[in-house]
Amino acid sequence: MGFSFIKRLVAFSLLAVLVVVAAGCGEEEKGPFRIGVMESVTGAGETYGTVAVQAKQLAVDEINAAGGINGRMLELVVEDSKCNAQDAITAYNKLTDVDEVKIILGTSCSGAMLGAAPLAEKEGVVMFSGLATNPDIAEAGDYIFRTSLSDATVGVDTGNVLWADGIRNLATINESTDYAEGVRRTTTAQFEKLGGQIVAAESYPSDTTDYRTQLTKILNATPDALHIAAQAEASGGTIIKQVRELGYDGPIYADVVPIGTTALEIAGEAATGVKAITPDLDPANAKAQEVLAAFREEYDYVTLPWFLGSAYDNVYIAAECLKKTGDDQDADGFRDCLYDITWSGTIGVDYSFDEKGEVVGLSNAVLEVLPVAERTEENGGYRVLGAAPSN
Amino acid sequence: MSIATGAIRGLQEVARDPGSWWRRSKGSVELWANLIVLGWALVFMLWRGGGFAITVGSVFAIWAVLAVSLNLVVGYTGLLSVGHIGFFGIGAYAMAVLTSSASYEQLRTEAIPTFGWPFFAALPISVVLAGLVALVVGVAFNRFRDDIYVLVSFGFAVIAFTTFLSWRNLTRGAFGIHQVARPAIGPLVFDGELEFLALLLVFLGLVVLISWLIVTSSFGRVLTAIREDEEAIEVFGYRTTHYKLAIWVISAMMAGLAGALLASWSTFIDPNSFVLLESVLLVSIVILGGLASIWGSLLGALAFVMLEEGMRFVPFLPSEFIGQIRQMILGILLVLLMLFRPQGLVGRFKL
Repeated sequence: MGFSFIKRLVAFSLLAVLVVVAAGCGEEEKGPFRIGVMESVTGAGETYGTVAVQAKQLAVDEINAAGGINGRMLELVVEDSKCNAQDAITAYNKLTDVDEVKIILGTSCSGAMLGAAPLAEKEGVVMFSGLATNPDIAEAGDYIFRTSLSDATVGVDTGNVLWADGIRNLATINESTDYAEGVRRTTTAQFEKLGGQIVAAESYPSDTTDYRTQLTKILNATPDALHIAAQAEASGGTIIKQVRELGYDGPIYADVVPIGTTALEIAGEAATGVKAITPDLDPANAKAQEVLAAFREEYDYVTLPWFLGSAYDNVYIAAECLKKTGDDQDADGFRDCLYDITWSGTIGVDYSFDEKGEVVGLSNAVLEVLPVAERTEENGGYRVLGAAPSN
Repeated sequence: MSIATGAIRGLQEVARDPGSWWRRSKGSVELWANLIVLGWALVFMLWRGGGFAITVGSVFAIWAVLAVSLNLVVGYTGLLSVGHIGFFGIGAYAMAVLTSSASYEQLRTEAIPTFGWPFFAALPISVVLAGLVALVVGVAFNRFRDDIYVLVSFGFAVIAFTTFLSWRNLTRGAFGIHQVARPAIGPLVFDGELEFLALLLVFLGLVVLISWLIVTSSFGRVLTAIREDEEAIEVFGYRTTHYKLAIWVISAMMAGLAGALLASWSTFIDPNSFVLLESVLLVSIVILGGLASIWGSLLGALAFVMLEEGMRFVPFLPSEFIGQIRQMILGILLVLLMLFRPQGLVGRFKL
């Protein structure tokens, strides 16, 4: 034992590494397809980035286990964009200069995406995200694609749902953050375009804990329905609870936040029947259930199912396009393939990309919160009513 | 003069007895720190050459301007400020708002006015604006010292970040500002990454020169005296508040310059680049390199950027945890450095 043992161990492991590397070199004449993955696995978007990387790795393992793409393996080169524009630029340059990839899947933070997108656009590198939702990405360029739905679509779909449900006088309350304000603004615009009327609009700063003043004002306007756009689950849950305590018994609509686990715990029975408009996996889609089960099998947890499915689909779409172009350095061919493709996968059936690289054919789902007795960890406390109506 | 004489004497000695150089420098952490960091940087450039090295060089130049400017306040004057990132952000946002030419009306998000100024017209404004804000803030900050100073500067960093996030009809909040202009002199546009790096290095040289002139002047000696014993220097009739305010404003202007360069380099900015954590990283760069040493700040920025980017090449990490493990290694290395070398790589003074 002692030092000589450690030395031998080190020598042995070095040898083993060499053998593996040598074997890897000799094995294939045509190397694997290499594509970059850029996600924010540290920093503010950590949860999203990690789930995305794991889902992509899962898809790649499946593809390779099934014999690869035309007999060639698929290999991911993962980089961290840390959820900020500057780190995304260094990560981008590392991927394109050092690893020489021409196709990058990612990234999960909109700021990071928008930081690297001008470079990708200039240098003709495809960036294909499954998670970034900032509406600005639509205008980022010809080589920029995403399967994630822009935040603006949530508002448009919410407006449609409200109108279709027969709501004509709406009251809104929103947290003063960009996301929540954006949802409120697009919802209102769509609702008013359809002919609806906003009878009260209130907003609150992020650290508020009591909403009775604003809610009383809203109730005095006797709306048909209340729409809540929140950023923090605690505020969403508390608003639902307090508005019911004030005696309001009309319908409540929300973005995804007020029906999160924490929010439902706060609101309790008051939340029953609240409708939320957000992207979600279709429970009737067998593929989606399969992917979730495989993910749970591999990593022992499931979170953010829609984003997970979106990242997973990205890899299969990329594999399909690589099969067509047969060259991982052909970014233009890959881009043209994306413009032409129609895909059915985890997040939806027959979806494709428009001229801005935005996904079309996917819609937000309408979710309804279940009574407390029926809420479980698996169903997240809600059921999917179906896709939001388009007009 | 004395440096030259010293160098000649040293060389003469080494010529007489070649072993003496080794004996003298063996124990010098400073020399080894220099050799290791510079050597690693050189190897990295050769190994990873080309485009990525240029990107890393640009990141280094921006951090170096920030680190040198902060060292004037923290190292030379002894005011521990963690609010420097605020001035960095002000410079960046001034540049971004003034030069952005994106047509925001097309987008379904916030629209802000676009001025479309050229880079060199916006640059002085960015620098002066950071200086003006520093002047206003500095008048209030001058009432505080030591630990309280850390807290109020912390407060400033938070206020600055919140302002960038919430002043939406100027900064577009979390949506960020696109298409910040690249510098151009007549037909010469610094569009390529290499040209921009050259420009960055020119500005870095300028900042280093100004800082060197300051710290070697009588003004700089008063600053050092304030750090050592503020009451004592006051007894000699120096109005220390004026000196502290002056260096604070100069340092903030340099940070504003760094911010303006960053905005133009990345062509897109959002508030995430100006979070408090970045400020803490900046302070650790200054301490890591060495307080009250301009060379130390350059070396610290180089060591930090090289460490962080070098981590991208650590092999055999599972792809899901790659980012987290890198951050952990970076943290551990910083703790170890502080443990065994609290004065920093080449510093002379401990906090």
